[in-house]
Amino acid sequence: MKKRYLAAVLSAVLVMSCTACGGGQDNNASAGGTEESTEGAQSSGSSTVVVAMGSGFATVDPGYVYEKYPPLIVNACYENLFKFYDNDSAPEPCLADSYEFSEDNLTLTVKLKEGITFASGNPMTSADVLFSINRCKNLQGNPSFIADTIESMEAPDEQTIVFHLTQEDSAILSKLTYSALAILDSAVVKENGGTDAEDAATTDTAQAYLDSTSAGSGMYVMTSYIPDEEVVLEKNPNYWGEATNVDKYIIKIQPDSNTQMMTLSTGDIDVALNMTDDTMAELAGAENIGIINGATKTVGFVMMNMKEEYSGPVSNPKVQQAIRKALDYSGFQIICGEGTLTPYSVIQSGFMGSKGERATDYTNLEEAKALLAEAGYADGFDVDLTVSDLDMEGILLTDLAQKVKDDLSQVGINVNIVSQPWAAGYGDAYRDGTLGFTVMYWGTDYNDPNVQLEFLPGAVVGLRAGWSEEMNPELAALYQETMAATDNDARIAVLEQVQDAMYEDGPFIMIAQAPAHIGYNSRLDGVAISDPYALDVTLINIK
Amino acid sequence: MLRSVKKMFRSNYLFTLGVIICLLWILAAILAPLLAPCDPVAQDLTLRLKPPSATHLFGTDNFGRDIFSRVIYGGRYSLLAGCLTVVIAGCIGTFYGAVAGYVGGLADNVMMRISEMILAFPSLILAMIINAVLGSNLFNTMFALVIVAWPTYARLMRSVVLSVKENEYVTASEALGASRFRILLKEIIPNSISSVLIMATTDIGNQILMFSTLSFLGLGSAPPTPEWGMMVSDGVDYFNKFWVAGFPGLAIFTMAVGANFIGDGLRDLLDPKLRKQF
Repeated sequence: MKKRYLAAVLSAVLVMSCTACGGGQDNNASAGGTEESTEGAQSSGSSTVVVAMGSGFATVDPGYVYEKYPPLIVNACYENLFKFYDNDSAPEPCLADSYEFSEDNLTLTVKLKEGITFASGNPMTSADVLFSINRCKNLQGNPSFIADTIESMEAPDEQTIVFHLTQEDSAILSKLTYSALAILDSAVVKENGGTDAEDAATTDTAQAYLDSTSAGSGMYVMTSYIPDEEVVLEKNPNYWGEATNVDKYIIKIQPDSNTQMMTLSTGDIDVALNMTDDTMAELAGAENIGIINGATKTVGFVMMNMKEEYSGPVSNPKVQQAIRKALDYSGFQIICGEGTLTPYSVIQSGFMGSKGERATDYTNLEEAKALLAEAGYADGFDVDLTVSDLDMEGILLTDLAQKVKDDLSQVGINVNIVSQPWAAGYGDAYRDGTLGFTVMYWGTDYNDPNVQLEFLPGAVVGLRAGWSEEMNPELAALYQETMAATDNDARIAVLEQVQDAMYEDGPFIMIAQAPAHIGYNSRLDGVAISDPYALDVTLINIK
Repeated sequence: MLRSVKKMFRSNYLFTLGVIICLLWILAAILAPLLAPCDPVAQDLTLRLKPPSATHLFGTDNFGRDIFSRVIYGGRYSLLAGCLTVVIAGCIGTFYGAVAGYVGGLADNVMMRISEMILAFPSLILAMIINAVLGSNLFNTMFALVIVAWPTYARLMRSVVLSVKENEYVTASEALGASRFRILLKEIIPNSISSVLIMATTDIGNQILMFSTLSFLGLGSAPPTPEWGMMVSDGVDYFNKFWVAGFPGLAIFTMAVGANFIGDGLRDLLDPKLRKQF
C-alpha cells in the first residue's frame, strides 16, 4: 500500500513538473518568436541583409583562410589585385590597374590603381601588397601553397609590384584572387602584431585582431565575429569605389538546411546558402522567394586504375570506353538534384576554356556492349567497386556507386560495392594509387581550370589511377604547355586539346558537377552562385 | 513446462502477440522471393520517391526501388544478424560468466577484468574498429557485434551464479561428490539461465539497431543490400517523404517490440516466483 502512495505522489510530481516545463517552454517560444519577428521585420524593411551560411572554419584572418565560407567575409571586407566579377569568366583587375607578363613568362608586373584607400583612411601602396602576400606565404598556414609559384616580389615604386615566378604559371592571376592573398592595411596590421617576416608562422600575433575587425579596402568592415555563430559587416565609410545600397550584413553561421528553409520563408533571413534539393522543393511556389539551382565546380568521377594488378579488366582501355558509354549521365543528374551538370570532359563547365556539358545521348548501351566484346569480355565480368563514406556537397558517394552498379549491370558487368571508410584505409589507398575501381569527388583548391591538370598522366591525380607520364607522353606534355599559356586565347586552345584527349579515353569519367541551391528573398537583386566567394555580397542590391 | 507455455499463450496475450510478430517476420524473410512484388535492387529513376500506392505498397526510394520488397528482403539480413549475434554472444557470455562466478577467487577476478576491459570501450566505437580492421561484410559485422555483446551476458550470468551457488542443492550435490563441471552444467546454469534468456530476447532488438547503425556508417553490408538500418539512414535526407525511412523504421520497431514481448513473457514463465500465477 505504501508503495502505491509513493507511486501516486511521484507520478503527480512528474505530471506537475512536466506541465511546468511545458509552460516554461511555451513562454520561451513566444518570447523567441517575438524577438525573431522584430528582427525579421527589420531585415525585410531596412537595408540590412541577413545571410545564413555553412560552418567549418575558426578564423576569418585572410592569412589563414582556406575553407569554403570565410571567403564570403574576406571578399566583402578586403580586396585583391584581381577578382572574379563573374563566376564563369577569367579574373579581372581589381586593385590592379594593368598587368604584363615578361617574354619568358617568369615575371609579372602589376600596376596598382591610384587613389585607393583602406577603411582606416591609409592609402594603399605596393608596400601593402608586399606585406600581405609575404605574410600569407610566411604564416605557413593551410592556404600558403597558393603562393608557391611566387619566388620573390619587389616594389620599384609605390604603384608597381614585380612578381618573380618559380615557373611559368598561367593560373597566377586566378591565384592572386584567392582570399588568402587579400591586401591588408599593413600599417594597421603591423600595429596589432602582424608581421611578414620569414618567421611569421611563430611571431605573427595579428589573428586575434583580424578576428575582431577587418583591415582592408573592401566595401564592408567587419564589426563583430562570434565563431560558429554570427558575423556582422557594416558599410565602409571610406570605400573608394561605388558601393551597393546594402548598409549592413548579418551573417549567421547556421548550416542546417531545414532551419534555413523555415527562417527564409518567415522572412527572418534573406539568403540561404545551404539549401538541399529536398528543402528547395518545399519553397517552390512560395511568394517573394527566389531560388537558384546551379552547378558548383565540385565534381564526382569514376576512376579506373590503369594498372591491371589493381583493377583487372577495368584497366583495359576498351573496357574503360565501354564503361563511359554505359553510364547513364542524365540518371546521375536526377540523383544529384536540380542544377547538376555533367561536364564535357575533365574540365568542369563554368571554367574558362571549358567545352561545356557532355551530351546526355552519349550513353549508348549497344556501343558499350560492342566495345566490351572487342576487349574480350562479351559476357561481362565481376569487379569490386570500392567506395568511401564521404559525400560530395551532401551527395553520398555510395549513392553514386549504386547508380554505377545499376548502369553497368545493363552491359553485363557485375559490380560488387565494397565500402571502406576514408579513415580506415580508403584515404591511404586512394593517395597511394592502389584502388582499382572507385567513385570519388574532387573539390577545386582555387578557381582556375589549371587545377584540373592534376588529372593528366603523371600528375597528382593521374598517378592515383596508375597513369604515368610514359603511358601518354603527348598528353602529359600539355600540362607544361597550359602552364606556359599566359595569353587567355592560347590557354583556351590548349585546355580544349586536353578535354578532347580525355573525352573518350583515359582512366577518369567525370560523372556530375554537384549542384548548389540558394534560396533568397526576392527583394534582393544580384544573388548568384559564386565558386570563389560562396556568395559575392558586393554585387547584391536591394530592389 | 509445456503446459505452462500453453497456458501462457492463452493468458498472456502480449507474449502471444510478440510470438506472432516475430514469426511473421521470420516467415516473410524466408519466403521473400515469393512475397516481394519487385526486385529489391532494381532501380527505376522515373519512379523516384513516389508515395505509397497500389503498385508500390510502401512507396519508392531515391533510386525508384520498391520499398515493400526491400523491407521484406531486409528481414533476412537484420534478423539473421540480430538473432545469430545474440545466440553466439549469449552462449559465450553465459558459459564464461558461469565459470567465473562458480570458480570464484583469482580466476573470477582475472576473467571479469578481461570482460570489463571490453566493456570499458564505447561499444559502437569498438565494433567500428574491429570492422574497419577486418573489412566490412555481413560476417565481420556479426563478429564485431558478438565481441561487443558477450561481456554483458557474462556479467549478468556471474552475478546470478554468485547467489545460486550458495543454494542448498548445490551444497548437496557437492556433498554427494558430483564433479564441479557436472554441478556447473546440471545445477548452476539451468538455475541461472532465465535472466540471460530474458535479456537475450530483449537484446535482439538492440542488436538489430546496432547492426543498422554500423551499416549506416558503411561498416555493415554494402549498398544496395536492402538492410533495414541502411534504408532508414537513406531516408533521413528526405524528411518530408515519410515512407522512405518510415516503413523500414516500422519494421525495426515491430521486430524489437515483438522480441521484447517474448522476453517479458519468458520472464513470467521462467521466474519461479511468478510462475504460480499461471
